[in-house]
Amino acid sequence: MTITRRNVLLGATAAAALAPIASRAQTSEVVIGVIYPLSGASAQIGVDAQKAFETAADIINKNYDFELPLAKGEGLSGLGGAKVRLVFADHQADPQKGRAEAERLITQDKVCAIVGTYQSAVAVTVSQICERYQIPFISADNSSPSLHRRGLKFYFRAAPHDEMFSTAMFDFFDTMKKKGTKIDTLSLFHEDTIFGTDSGNAQAKLAGERGYKIAADIKYRANSPSLSAEVQQLKAANADVLMPSSYTTDGILLVKTMAELGYKPNAIVAQDAGFSEKALYDAVGDKLEGVISRGSFSLDLAAKRPMVGKINAMFKERSGKDFNDYSSRQFMGLIVMADAINRAKSTDGEKIREALVATDMPGETTIMPWKRVKFDDMGQNNDADPVLLQYIGGKFVTIFPPQAAVAEAVWPMK
Amino acid sequence: MTAETIIQSLASGLLMGLLYGLIAVGLALIFGLMDVVNFAHGEFLMIAMYATFFLFAFFAIDPLLSAPLVAAALFVFGAIVYLLIVRFAVRAKANAGMVQIFSTFGLAIVMRGLAQFFFTPDYRSVTNSWLGGKTISIGGIYLPEPQLVGALVSIAAFAGLYFFIHRTDFGRALEATREDAGAVALVGIDKNRVFALGWGLGAALVGLAGAIMAIFFYVYPDVGASFALIAYVTVALGGFGSVFGAFAGGIIVGLVEATTALILPPSLKSVGIYAVYLLVVFVRPRGLFGSM
Repeated sequence: MTITRRNVLLGATAAAALAPIASRAQTSEVVIGVIYPLSGASAQIGVDAQKAFETAADIINKNYDFELPLAKGEGLSGLGGAKVRLVFADHQADPQKGRAEAERLITQDKVCAIVGTYQSAVAVTVSQICERYQIPFISADNSSPSLHRRGLKFYFRAAPHDEMFSTAMFDFFDTMKKKGTKIDTLSLFHEDTIFGTDSGNAQAKLAGERGYKIAADIKYRANSPSLSAEVQQLKAANADVLMPSSYTTDGILLVKTMAELGYKPNAIVAQDAGFSEKALYDAVGDKLEGVISRGSFSLDLAAKRPMVGKINAMFKERSGKDFNDYSSRQFMGLIVMADAINRAKSTDGEKIREALVATDMPGETTIMPWKRVKFDDMGQNNDADPVLLQYIGGKFVTIFPPQAAVAEAVWPMK
Repeated sequence: MTAETIIQSLASGLLMGLLYGLIAVGLALIFGLMDVVNFAHGEFLMIAMYATFFLFAFFAIDPLLSAPLVAAALFVFGAIVYLLIVRFAVRAKANAGMVQIFSTFGLAIVMRGLAQFFFTPDYRSVTNSWLGGKTISIGGIYLPEPQLVGALVSIAAFAGLYFFIHRTDFGRALEATREDAGAVALVGIDKNRVFALGWGLGAALVGLAGAIMAIFFYVYPDVGASFALIAYVTVALGGFGSVFGAFAGGIIVGLVEATTALILPPSLKSVGIYAVYLLVVFVRPRGLFGSM
């Protein structure tokens, strides 16, 4: 078919006639980009994250009787009941793919906000793109402290970062020491991307300040085919506490190799990541009785706040898994973002940013043990209190801080 | 650094190295036979590990028992890959090299995608196998039983392969085909049959490695990637196409990796492997045991 001038005119007329409908359709829908590793080595995280975000969108879009922002009523009341629609993008744990996908979400899918990304290294590039296009970005589950210190105006993080997490760990060590437990030396074991590096640096700094000796500080290559050389060095150092910052794959291999080489530390206090994943406990949980991991979520909370259990059940129905430290933060990431869009009464980036700055969400209206959600001038929520969880009898119990604890720490681990 | 640490490192390196050799030998065999690099080699390893995992999860067959089954299944799979894909790729009239690369590379991506779709990206492990987590301690040196058995299987497989290539009719046909495929056709040997069996054999060997690996490593759709990289270096170091080269290359890679981690920070341990490889390229570009 050849395109004549009349066809073009007809098309243009039709487009003009439909335009008002199209723009009306846009206001009944708020499009939010969600960017995660949906394939590649950490695809499992992304696939679970998808379920967590879908659960959050479902709660926003339908009517539920929870004391959670946007749960009651359908859609965003500030935008005439507009529904939240999620567009998922796959960054494959690659910062460059993250950059390209973020740009595509903004320019082609016309998202008004982005939530991401699991790997901190990818959050670096995604948040830069968001800053350039003036689109608000929430780090749902990135924990590198350097992320919010780059002076970005459109960057927000409701969850704690690794310095807050590490501080909680050292507060815990101090408390244990006062009770007479011997904790003098620490072994740090961290992977070589921004997550492991930042976490290792934060821990080394805190150890120096509080007078703990670092017996070994081992940085290893992520997704290594073998960790036996690394584990030997940990074994030779034989510190009182082993502190791994590892994603799931390396975490499994670490625990297996430790068993093979006969290394049994008195205690493992992990920087989350792999150590809050079900896959790791399915694989090597029998060797991890008593492992301690930091977290920002605990199912214990359901006893005090029944909606936590109910929302967890909704998530479990979709994913077959309980909420963990990651899926719970992902869930909250979307709630916080949608709440801001609702108050902004607009999908304009700058207006959403202003609403995010004004956020003040009491902790009781979240599913987290946080005091509240309120961002400082760098976009970090400093009221997100981390907790320490211990893996006992096949599940996690909160052991620290005292106000959240439901059990005493078992030390040394079995 | 104590003597114990050094001996332990070398022992772990040697055991891992023998396994690297077993993983790589299929790649060397196929390359030697028909000058095709199988870029889906890591994915062959991945499906072998999944096969072992599922046989364990659904039928409670221990990886040690299922290893021959998995090797046999991979043999069939390798032969099918040759007959359905590679056979056509090598026939390309123009850019034959590129077509070969992209056909196996494409196969790798498809296999990874299908694995993620059907098996989900969850990390799986064989729990409570006969050897899993068991370890032998000799004078403070720990030798994990799965790796120990893996090393023995590797040595046995190489011995068997040596015998097979030098003492059987099919082995001789294999050697003859890699020498001169045209002449072989003249004496009445079906070239396609030899190639298909070569692919089968190469896949069966990596299948054997995958079954052993599943005892102590986790399984997920991308698991092949990091091992495939090591397999390529092993083959390049040992000499393209040389079966014995893969054996020696694997041991060298394992030992160099272990000793580098003793001297340099562990995050740089692969630097040692590539440094040795570069050294070999300077001195002997065809690899240590490669023929011209």
